[in-house]
Amino acid sequence: MTETGELLRNLLMTAWLLPLAGFVVEIFFGFGLFSKNPRHSKGAAWCAVGCIGTGFVCSLIALLVWVNKTGGHDTYEADKGVEKGWMSVIADHNHGLHPHGDGEHAEHSEHEDGDKDHAAGGEQGHEAEGDTDSHDDKDAHAKPHNEEASIEGGEWQLASVTAEESEEHSETEDSRSAAEFPTAFSGRLYTLGEFGSLIVSLDYYIDSLTIVMFAMVTLIATCIHLFAIGYMSDELTDDYVDHFAHTSDGKHVHRPGRFYRFFAFLSLFCFSMLGLVLAGNIFQVFVFWELVGICSFLLIGFYTERKSASDAANKAFIMNRVGDFGFLIGLMVLWTYFGTFNFADINDEGQVTGGLFSMISRSTEGEDLGNVRVDEDGAVLITSPEGEVLQDADGNNRTIPYALLVVAGLGVFGGCIGKSAQFPLQTWLPDAMEGPTPVSALVHSATMVAAGVYLTGRFYPMFTAEVLLTIAYIGGITLFVAATIAIVATDIKKVLAYSTISQLGYMMLGLGVFGWAAGLLHLITHAFFKSLMFLCSGSVIHGCHHEQEMPKMGGLLKKMPITAICMLIGVLAIAGCPLFLGLHFSGYHSKDAIVASALAFSEKNPGHFLLFALPLITAGITSFYMFRLWFMTFWGKPRDQHVYDHAHESPWIMCVPLLILAPFAWLCAYGGDQGDLYVMLTKDAPAHIENGVTAVGDGVVLPEIQEMYNQHEAAGLWALTSAGIGFVLAFALYGMNLVNLDEMKKNLGAAHGFLANKWHFDDLYDGLFMRPAHKVAAFCAWVDRTIFDTTLHFLARLMVIIAQWDRIFDEKVVDGFVNLIASATGDFGERLRVFQTGRVRQYVMFIVVGVVILFAVVFSTFPG
Amino acid sequence: MATLNAYLLVGAVLFVCGVICMATKRNGIGVLMGVELVLNGANVNFVAFSKFTSLGLDGQVFSLFIIVLAAAEAAVALAIALNFYNNHLTIDVDRGNKLKG
Amino acid sequence: MSSTDFLLVAIIFLPSVAAGAIALMDGKAVGTIRGMAFASTVVTFVLTLFLWGAWSGANADSPGDIVLLCEAGWIKSWNIYFRLGVDGISLPLVVLTGLVSMLAAGASWSINKQHKGYFILFLLLETGMMGVFLSLDFFLFFVFWEVMLLPMYFLIGIWGGPRKEYAAIKFFLYTLIGGVLMLIAMLMFYYGSGATTDSFNLIELANAASGSESTLSEFLSPETQVIAFVLLFIGFAIKLPAFPVHTWLPDAHVEAPTPISMILAGVLLKLGGYGIIRIAFPLCPYGAAVAAWWLVGIGVVSIIYGAFAALAQTDFKRLVAYSSVSHMGYVLIGLGVWSIGGDAYTAASRDYWLMGIEGAMFQMVAHGVSSAGMFFMVGVIYDRVHHRDLNKFGGLMGKMPVYSGLAAGLFFAGLGLPGLCGFIGEIFVVLSAWQFNSTLAIVAASGVILTAGYILWALQRVYLGSEYKGPHEEDITPINPREKSIAAVLLVFAIGLGVYPAVVFDMMKDSTANLTETMEQGYENAVPAVAEEEPVEQAQAMNN
Repeated sequence: MTETGELLRNLLMTAWLLPLAGFVVEIFFGFGLFSKNPRHSKGAAWCAVGCIGTGFVCSLIALLVWVNKTGGHDTYEADKGVEKGWMSVIADHNHGLHPHGDGEHAEHSEHEDGDKDHAAGGEQGHEAEGDTDSHDDKDAHAKPHNEEASIEGGEWQLASVTAEESEEHSETEDSRSAAEFPTAFSGRLYTLGEFGSLIVSLDYYIDSLTIVMFAMVTLIATCIHLFAIGYMSDELTDDYVDHFAHTSDGKHVHRPGRFYRFFAFLSLFCFSMLGLVLAGNIFQVFVFWELVGICSFLLIGFYTERKSASDAANKAFIMNRVGDFGFLIGLMVLWTYFGTFNFADINDEGQVTGGLFSMISRSTEGEDLGNVRVDEDGAVLITSPEGEVLQDADGNNRTIPYALLVVAGLGVFGGCIGKSAQFPLQTWLPDAMEGPTPVSALVHSATMVAAGVYLTGRFYPMFTAEVLLTIAYIGGITLFVAATIAIVATDIKKVLAYSTISQLGYMMLGLGVFGWAAGLLHLITHAFFKSLMFLCSGSVIHGCHHEQEMPKMGGLLKKMPITAICMLIGVLAIAGCPLFLGLHFSGYHSKDAIVASALAFSEKNPGHFLLFALPLITAGITSFYMFRLWFMTFWGKPRDQHVYDHAHESPWIMCVPLLILAPFAWLCAYGGDQGDLYVMLTKDAPAHIENGVTAVGDGVVLPEIQEMYNQHEAAGLWALTSAGIGFVLAFALYGMNLVNLDEMKKNLGAAHGFLANKWHFDDLYDGLFMRPAHKVAAFCAWVDRTIFDTTLHFLARLMVIIAQWDRIFDEKVVDGFVNLIASATGDFGERLRVFQTGRVRQYVMFIVVGVVILFAVVFSTFPG
Repeated sequence: MATLNAYLLVGAVLFVCGVICMATKRNGIGVLMGVELVLNGANVNFVAFSKFTSLGLDGQVFSLFIIVLAAAEAAVALAIALNFYNNHLTIDVDRGNKLKG
Repeated sequence: MSSTDFLLVAIIFLPSVAAGAIALMDGKAVGTIRGMAFASTVVTFVLTLFLWGAWSGANADSPGDIVLLCEAGWIKSWNIYFRLGVDGISLPLVVLTGLVSMLAAGASWSINKQHKGYFILFLLLETGMMGVFLSLDFFLFFVFWEVMLLPMYFLIGIWGGPRKEYAAIKFFLYTLIGGVLMLIAMLMFYYGSGATTDSFNLIELANAASGSESTLSEFLSPETQVIAFVLLFIGFAIKLPAFPVHTWLPDAHVEAPTPISMILAGVLLKLGGYGIIRIAFPLCPYGAAVAAWWLVGIGVVSIIYGAFAALAQTDFKRLVAYSSVSHMGYVLIGLGVWSIGGDAYTAASRDYWLMGIEGAMFQMVAHGVSSAGMFFMVGVIYDRVHHRDLNKFGGLMGKMPVYSGLAAGLFFAGLGLPGLCGFIGEIFVVLSAWQFNSTLAIVAASGVILTAGYILWALQRVYLGSEYKGPHEEDITPINPREKSIAAVLLVFAIGLGVYPAVVFDMMKDSTANLTETMEQGYENAVPAVAEEEPVEQAQAMNN
């Protein structure tokens, strides 16, 4: 482990563990330690903000360190000319082909400045590194460039203190140092359990995706924490009246405020989420996966008095568990065939043990199946970090059946379906809006639900072509279904919730059609603009005194201008609007990238045309329902005068986070596929996505990265047209009120009802799973009570009956025999009583007679 | 010379007389006298057998034992009779049937 | 008597001595009796910690062996010895027993009649439990096994709920049947161990079974091993309890007073698993390999069946009882995932089995903590409102926030939430199961959904909601310090084990590694014997 690695690890671990410490402090001491009147204290909130804020600072430092280091790497590679990797090729290509506006030029020069900075920083970083392992560095430099570039999977190699310092492993080092500056750091935190050769541990894994995610999560979380201080301030009371919870006599529930508890849960969530991102193995991801799940459960159900809230919390957790069931199956397969969960190779006391990502190696040679190396039987070969096939104790090649690799991929993706609310497990997310709005912004739009996408991206090297196709179709279905429901939703948060599902579908689709970077870029941009929009909606709800129905709003632009403008920025971003003040909105870049990937994919695979058509149509729908939301809320005349009269702009502590997030929502992806964010993300792109995958048999063809770039222009045009139509429609219907909406609703009653009932998924699941489950449960309980216990009682009764027979036998037969002997003896004595006269003279007679008889008998028997 | 049979005959007569006496007398003393007769009948036999066989003095010794026994028995029996009389004011043995089972 | 001998003997008999002292006390001095009983359980717990220390020293010298042996003649004419010892398999359970007994004694403040008798029986029960875990002589093991039975019978039958007699008798008869089967197996081993070594010594018998000290011909034949294993397994499965011999458990739990439920779930159920791993496995390795399928199959059925049954309960305590059935199913799976004899069995497969065994052992410890906690939490609310109908609770989060928070933590531990103890055992067992059989592994894994379902639903009905819907609302008072500390200790253990499970794995890893190796040896020794017999049978068939 280099010094940089240790520094990064320490920074990120600080950012990760601080919220945990915050949670402990807040949950135990948050109530009462900071103030004389504990229910009125904001101490817990500031503690939470402090923790996550410090975490953000740490993440930012880590980001800068990383940029410095990898920037150096970048320039070093650039020296190598043609072999320098695809990134600069793309950059060149874009210089030539991409239509740059004036603003783009300015942006580009900025970008170059950035590059220079990077280069400078990189030199420094290089020198710093040189101190520790200078001779290795020299070795590396001495090697011919092409050899370095040809080493497979070099991007995933690691450097570690032990390996570098140990002379014995110089060979490994040589191959290792090819990576120059390692693009991923991984190491072990501690071991959970060790079983022979199997080790389950907690690790960390730091690459550019980790760092970007850390920066994004901590930034958004900090903003949302601040926002929540304002939003949750009505909890700062001894007598909180919950207008949505009723007792049986119809009164509102009164309870003490729970301000500190909210922030404690938020802190716990931040800890779990950051742990998920930092996790160095898939098992650890699962651990934190569940933890974010339970935090989500706690936060959705924050208003415990509301039945709807606790129902929604249960639904969220249980549906996530359904996905996790798939995840678990994936884990079992991986564990059984690979024997490790680690993403990257771990250098454990001088021994390099391969991680999952180097165990599946890709090859472009003829023997491949979906670009995975297989043996002659079609089983996938498991390889060492050096690309050699591993062998088991008997000397056979270690393999995993191809089908099981697919199962593993689908299983892990199953977890992502649950967490990211993809079809068919999407129904929990809209219900999750029962939670306070900051929770919806943080957990259910920006971070936790994006974890599914993150994992799909993280686990990309393990997905086969079939899995990717499934991912693409799941994403495609989800994005379309959710968008259609969003059209008819009237609750402002529900619209955003369906929009979230739809956008997550976009990301999945992007990943599925081999647009790795596109999907993850959209993850980041979406996090910013969706959290912005949720906070804006929170601001509206707060300003309108907990009114969430859009039909009761309207014209709020005048009352709350900051919120309205920020919301507009978010809407423009999600709709994929280009060019505003010369700068593209982030959503334009990311959605364009996804649509371009989809277009490239569907050109290669004409049979999968839907994968391009769905996102394209949905781009229009997205634009339509988002503008519908904005127009209904902020535009036109007030529909409910009472709400309008009482509406007010939110206090500064809620507006500041909006103002912080708005520029990010607008500009975070600036520069598009040559912007800093994109370049940084793609730095550690899985090795095999560059060349695409050629089809084997009927399989799908995955396009090369180059082909996607070729489609940017066309795709951008298509998407823009679609979004434009959506905007025009929305403006016509809701901005100018050209059509009577009620009449339209009546005419399209069936369709509207179908959409308003969310495609009847809830009813379907209720009938398909919930009720049968309860039936089976009742049956099991019935079996236990009746079958088992009845059998048991029958046996017991049988025993009693046998015992009764036994008693009868004992009493009648055994005792009867004994009594018979006794009574016979008695009877005999009774008979003899007759002779016992008591008269002496008779006795003498008896003796005489007796003697005579005796004599007679003796003499007759023995005559003579 | 009297033969063994003669002695045995005397003994048998004595014995039968004694038995009849015991069986017929209601007077307790009478019964006792019958007992004495039976015992003496037996004595005669013992002595006779002793005389006419090679038993030596065994029969005579037995006779002496029987005489002593008879004396003791008589003493005990008389005491019983006395008590019987005290309780029943008679020595009619038929009156004493307490041993009836 | 060396100091370690003294330690072992003291752990077992200190509670009995205290019970004797209590017997001499005035029955009206309730406070003194309680204090005395609680103090003795605390001392016992501390002694188990000392035992841990002594063990780790001794284990370092001979990793994985049974150490700290204490041996004394008892009935020598029958080769019966008073033989105690501890290894990495029994140690975690001994410590767990000490802990749960201590906490249950603390929870016994709610007992409100015949205190003297109660605490005497309670302490005798602890002696029995410790004795079972520490004895290394089959006969002694059996004696302690039966010693536990009677106190338990009276504790349920006298201090229990409305149907206490029924529950007590059901419990007693079930366990007794198991004990009888065990007795038969015990005699099979005694006479099967060879004319020279008629013995109840578990170590010797295990060595004989593995073929490491005597040749196999002197020990049980493979067929007899299978029979012996089945007898032992039924006996232990009743205690575990596994489907379909589990029906004593819900009744016993529902009727037993709270502290006894804690002991029952926290320790007594573990005796089943412990018996399998300490006796049934090492003494009949071949039988274990043959029956592995049944173990895993029964385990899977227990998980699913128990979870479904729990989902349908309306009695809070009954729900927790069925959750025990479900959770103990993982123990059977973990123990049973021994794919030896299969085509795919390699050296690596043994590591997965090792993981399964350790996962199962961990699950036992974890379940001891979480289920004791859950039962205690049910008891706390029952003491206040005197009912357990899930549909007549609600809103406790507002009325008893601290209690509800602690309860939520403990129930999450039962739910198998990462970071809490329940997760580690379940997940390791499930992960080890795929190499044995993928279908069974998938079915077992599906238990996570059902578990989440019934626990969350129960939490919602009891703790969440706008108001309390049952009787005695006025009696709902905040949790008192005694209850709070008991729950907190359990929760701390739940978190500690969940975050750093290596503390338990480190305890048992040498012993379990030894166990798997010797059992493999034993199986391989038995296989030729089976192979020899088959040709003979074929020849006979041909002659016929």
